[in-house]
Amino acid sequence: MLELILQTCVNALVASSFTALVAVGLVLIFGVMGIVNFAHGELYMTGAFAVWYLTSALGWPFLLAVAAAILLVAAIGAVMERLLFRPMRGNPLGGLIMSVGTLFILQVLALELGGGTGRAKHVTPPWRGVIEVFGIEGVTVPVQRLAVIGISVALLGGLWLFLHRTRMGWALRACAQDPEAAALQGISIDRFSLLAMVLGAGLAGAAGAVMAPLLPVEPSMGHSVIVTAFIVIIVGGIGSVEGAVIAAILYTFFDTFVTTFLDGTIASILGLLIMMLVLVIRPTGIMGVREKV
Amino acid sequence: MRTSLSRRRLLGTTAAGLGLAAAGLPRLGRAAEQTVRIGFLAPMSGDYVDWGLPGLYGCEIWAENVNAQGGLKIGGDTYKIEFVGYDDEAETDKALQGAKKLVLEDEVKFILMLGGNYSGVQNFVNQEKMLVSTLLPSDMSPDTPYLIAPCETHPFYNVTGVEWLAKNRPELKTAAMVYPDDSLGLPSLATYRAAFEAEGIKIVTEKAYPDEASADFTALTTALLAAKPDILCLDTCGAGAVSQITEQAFLQGYKGQMISCTLDYYKQVTEKTSKEFMEGFIFQFPNFDDPMMQKDQINFPDPKGFYDAYVKKYPDAWSAVSWEYPAIMVTWADAAQKAGSVEPMKVLEAMKASGTSPHVFGKGEWWGTEVLGVDNALIADWPVVVMRDGMPTIAEFRSIPDWMSKHTDLLIKHMTDLKQMPDQRA
Amino acid sequence: MSAARPLAALVLALALVAIPFLVKPYQLDIAIFLLINILVVVSYRLVTITGEWSLAHVVMMGVGGYASALLAKRAGLEFWLSMPLAALFTASVAFILSFPLFRMKAFYFLIGSFAAGEAIRLTWIRFYDPFGGPKGLKLIPPPELSLPWLEEPLNLGRPVSYYFLTMLIVGLSLLVLWRIERSRIGLTLQAIHWRDVLAESIGVNTWRYRTLAHVVASFFAAVAGALLAHYVGAVTPTRFGLHIMLYVLVWVIVGGTRTFYGPILGVVTLSILDEFIREFDEYRPLIYGLILILTVRFLPHGLESIVLRAIAAWRERSPGVSRMPVGE
Repeated sequence: MLELILQTCVNALVASSFTALVAVGLVLIFGVMGIVNFAHGELYMTGAFAVWYLTSALGWPFLLAVAAAILLVAAIGAVMERLLFRPMRGNPLGGLIMSVGTLFILQVLALELGGGTGRAKHVTPPWRGVIEVFGIEGVTVPVQRLAVIGISVALLGGLWLFLHRTRMGWALRACAQDPEAAALQGISIDRFSLLAMVLGAGLAGAAGAVMAPLLPVEPSMGHSVIVTAFIVIIVGGIGSVEGAVIAAILYTFFDTFVTTFLDGTIASILGLLIMMLVLVIRPTGIMGVREKV
Repeated sequence: MRTSLSRRRLLGTTAAGLGLAAAGLPRLGRAAEQTVRIGFLAPMSGDYVDWGLPGLYGCEIWAENVNAQGGLKIGGDTYKIEFVGYDDEAETDKALQGAKKLVLEDEVKFILMLGGNYSGVQNFVNQEKMLVSTLLPSDMSPDTPYLIAPCETHPFYNVTGVEWLAKNRPELKTAAMVYPDDSLGLPSLATYRAAFEAEGIKIVTEKAYPDEASADFTALTTALLAAKPDILCLDTCGAGAVSQITEQAFLQGYKGQMISCTLDYYKQVTEKTSKEFMEGFIFQFPNFDDPMMQKDQINFPDPKGFYDAYVKKYPDAWSAVSWEYPAIMVTWADAAQKAGSVEPMKVLEAMKASGTSPHVFGKGEWWGTEVLGVDNALIADWPVVVMRDGMPTIAEFRSIPDWMSKHTDLLIKHMTDLKQMPDQRA
Repeated sequence: MSAARPLAALVLALALVAIPFLVKPYQLDIAIFLLINILVVVSYRLVTITGEWSLAHVVMMGVGGYASALLAKRAGLEFWLSMPLAALFTASVAFILSFPLFRMKAFYFLIGSFAAGEAIRLTWIRFYDPFGGPKGLKLIPPPELSLPWLEEPLNLGRPVSYYFLTMLIVGLSLLVLWRIERSRIGLTLQAIHWRDVLAESIGVNTWRYRTLAHVVASFFAAVAGALLAHYVGAVTPTRFGLHIMLYVLVWVIVGGTRTFYGPILGVVTLSILDEFIREFDEYRPLIYGLILILTVRFLPHGLESIVLRAIAAWRERSPGVSRMPVGE
């Protein structure tokens, strides 16, 4: 039994690290730009497709492909900000439609890149080994999954340093928590929207890229991620990067444990109900701030 | 990667338009050459695209072959085959809209559906007396007299895999099951329960998941393996779920037997695990270049040629639906030729007249009254496919009718438990 | 008073009546679904004018469809009873949900409403009895009309008669929604949108008004759901999923929400466009996506802004016409 519990903890840790990557990106974008980016799941999907294409068609090494995928998706984010979201400043609904339009387009492009049949793609994991953790036989973590944790922690750590140790990061946080006040202080919303979008998209692309060897890579793979990410950033409190990380860990641990010890359907229903409960008790999430007058 | 923007289908439609115009012209004295249109009503965009689109490609290859040989001779006339597609988005209302267009505008004589959303077109089909096929007999009930399942009788063929396993590895006594909580997973669960019970194999744990997208397969696999089963049974999990659970079982050190309805991505899963790990994995869908597909009992024109043409045109796209829709067309063509007509009700009558029809894997028998409420499912032999040295290999064709004659009561018991009998499906 | 308005209304009415006799049979189905969707988007707008965007609206439509289907199938009620009862039931579900939901605002409300709707949808999937599980309910009886001089009740499930039935019910519903919007309640709702805190400070109970809007909107969504269920003869859980809700959002936003007719413009234009690009099969979403982006890029205030501008321009040129307020 102890083995099962420990193994489940290890499983949950992997799930929470990539969920956190996606959720943190979504928080940045929503916080700074006020846009509900429905295409965020598709950015994640694009990261995964990029890794698939670069490793299988062009034969690039995995880590290089991951780096390229992150840059590519960040670039897509930049294009989205400049061409689609910027003209919609002050029109969040217009922004929402832009993101839905992008969602449709990215899905079809991925379908075509993959040969047009909707068949899932598979990325062969570069690392095949399995490591025993806690020195207990039966509690294992594949190296590939350790890499997911490692890369996620490194990226999130880097982001934390950037946000808390640089002036630019401080300004970005100010934007995310309160764009209007930030603008009043002379912070350029244009510049920081672009930065938020590049970072947010890049993180989503990174999540897709590192998960590519662990999941079937298919055009619809973004759906589930976006729903989980929305739940996580709501529970964590919009605008709070730390809240998103904490909520990602809480949610995935809950989900993984219920799935293991009861079943997956019950885990989904309970997850939704608990989220509702959190919102009823704290309508602005764990780390959220109350709405200003 | 394809380059043309659906050019083939655009041309097809234009040609159909010209054909319509030509039909109005007086016939010259030559032998009548006509076109029969077949509707293809399945998902062609969205999440279920891989259940529809690859099937249309298969049908088009089949039609090209038939048309290249001059067409089908039916009742003294020669018919070219043309497929008309409609994206039903896997929804009931879109399916109804599509069925109306196909029947009333395009005047198709037969509609191929994936199924699952048949309830939306049921009234219309009954009223128009249109012949419709499905891959999912769980759409069937006493109220669906014109709905047939001439190829895939999901999930009943799964009994053949279990039977073969029990015969060849009698020492295996316990099984762990994972299933999707949906209209594919539940009837399949009932079938596997019946099949395992028939062989005296005990199911030690069953784990459900709601949908593939949000399920955590790492956790599910951990829970399944914690029950220490001899057999890990993947029910009718989606293709992605099968890949992920298999890979997880490998990573978490599972050493036992595996059995599944499908293993669409055998190649990729083998790459992610190992040939040794995959050795002996049992599933139910063969490649058509398998030597066993050359046997006389197979009712499919040049299976290997079809397979080669398909994978050449659509690399990496071969799956069950690639050949299942064309296989239905083979059964349909046989009945149309017997009937001497392409009219839906005449074709249906010809199919059912003798109680048997050619099924892709052998002589088929129309069955289903006890379990489906209507004898419109064509059951025959079905291949038990086993992974050997990294390749899916047909180990044996086993008879579904034989199993049913012995164990139908078990199947009914478990279907009833899971509320899958026609009178329980509201 | 200009003669243009009644004239336009007459032309529109004539066109609506003529449609079944002009279009192909399957296009008539498209027209029926379009009428149903018009009711969905217009009722949805009632929620949005309070400033909250719900993701549960399509699920509410489903609650209506399921409830009416169950009342018809299980209790043997006729459509004329099952539909209004289902709508009332849905309205009460919406009322109960308002307690947790309207504690939240903006994005929290958006996702909170999604969670509530999704929990309802999972219930349909999870419980076979009575919801039929993932395959839903089928063989839902079509409406029948018993008239004293007819031997057999008239089956209204056929396309042409169902078209007129839908037109009648949707037309009446739109009229009611229009009256609500023009009433004091409607004006208060809009006030809430613009100055939430201000409205509260002058003694408007915003919770009560938001709940009212949500309940009324859900009532009419349920009517639309019942109309869909009794025509198709089936309801499934996937028909009321997030992707359908996304379409409703798109229709409403592309059309515009400032005017009553904005959402109608959106759903009609985009649905017809969608039929035109059917030919492209798997490329359809790509073309649809491009159209969405271009529309919003060049018409950031929706299709309604074209109409508003046209009307304004027309007024400029004919100063004799009285200046009636258009839209809000």
